[in-house]
Amino acid sequence: MDLDLARQAQAGDESAFAEIVRRYSPRVFSVASRFFRQRPLVEEAAQEVFLKAYTQLGSFEGRGSLEGWLTRIATNTCLNIVRGAKRRPEFTVSDLTEDEQGWLEQQSAGDGGEPASVENTVVATDLADRLLSVLSPEDQQALLMIDGEQASIKEVAEATGWSESKVKVRAFRARRKVREAMEKLLSYKRA
Amino acid sequence: MPEGNQTNKHITEILDRASIAMLSESELLEIHVHTMDCMSCRDAFEAARLSAVVIKSRAETTIEPSPFFQTRVMAALREQQAVESVPAMLRLWRSAKALVSTMAVTTAALAVVSFTQPSQTTPVLDQTASAYSAYSVIMDQDADEQMSYEQVLSTIYEDDDDAR
Repeated sequence: MDLDLARQAQAGDESAFAEIVRRYSPRVFSVASRFFRQRPLVEEAAQEVFLKAYTQLGSFEGRGSLEGWLTRIATNTCLNIVRGAKRRPEFTVSDLTEDEQGWLEQQSAGDGGEPASVENTVVATDLADRLLSVLSPEDQQALLMIDGEQASIKEVAEATGWSESKVKVRAFRARRKVREAMEKLLSYKRA
Repeated sequence: MPEGNQTNKHITEILDRASIAMLSESELLEIHVHTMDCMSCRDAFEAARLSAVVIKSRAETTIEPSPFFQTRVMAALREQQAVESVPAMLRLWRSAKALVSTMAVTTAALAVVSFTQPSQTTPVLDQTASAYSAYSVIMDQDADEQMSYEQVLSTIYEDDDDAR
C-alpha cells in the first residue's frame, strides 16, 4: 500500500504525493516539534522534509513502513537544520525566572506531581529547554525520544540511523548531564 | 568511606541508565533505602525525578499541522519542479543576465571612447616624438653647424667691412 503510493507519487501522480503529505504530516510535525517550539519553524522544517522525501522516493523500497522512512528523513533533516543554526546561549542557573523557581519549589514540596495546568506545562517546557541546552542536538533527541516518548532503543536507532549502542551511550550521557544541571538549579534555589 | 562513594556511584548509575519511570521495583527500593541516609544521592534522585517530569512535558509539546499545510507543500513542490525544468545553462544565463549586459555596455562605451579620442591626442604625441627623436636631433644639429665655403667667406668679409 505504502509502496504503491510511493511509486505512484514517484511517477508524477500529484494526488498520490498529496495523500502521503496528508497521511504522514502529523508524524513529521511530531518529529519537528522535538526540535523546534515555534510553529513557523516546525512548518518550515516539515515542508523541507516532504520536498526532500519527494526527491528520494526512488530509494524507498517498501521494506519498512513509509512512516518509518519519513521519520528518519525528518530526524536527519531537523538535525541538519539545528546543527546549522546559531547555538543557544549557555545554560546559567541565575537566569531562572520567578515562574520557574516557583515551579521547582512546588515540585520539590511534593504538591505538584505532573504539570497539569497550561501555565505549569509552559514553565516545565521552558525549564526542559534550558536543561536540554547543555546537550548536543543528537543527545537531546535520544533523551526526548526515550524518556519523553518512551521509545525503545531500537526505535530510536531506526529513526536516526545510529547503532543501538550509540543510542544507549547518548541517552546515558544526556540523562547524566541533565540531572547534574537540574541539581545545580535546585542547589541555587536552596541557596 | 570508599564503600560509601562506590554506593553513591552505583545509585547515580542506576539513575542515569534509565528514566525513573523505567526503573524496576528492586532498583527503586535500593535507591529508597540508600537515600534515607545519603543526602547527595537524595539530591541526585530528586534532580532525576524533576528532570524526568520536565522532559516528559517537553516531549508532549507537539504542534499539529495546519489545514493548509498540504496545499503549501504541493505549491512548493510545483515551484521546485518549475525551477528544475529550466535547463541549467538557461538558469545560469537568467541569473547572470544583468551582469553580462552591464559588462557589454561598458565595453562598448570604452570602445567608442578609444576610437574617437585618438584623433586629438595621437598627432601631438607624433610631433613630440619626431621633434625629439635621436635621428632628427643629430641631423638638425648637422644642418645648423655645417656651412658652405661661400657662407664662411662672406661672413669673414662682412666682419672686415664693418671694421673699416
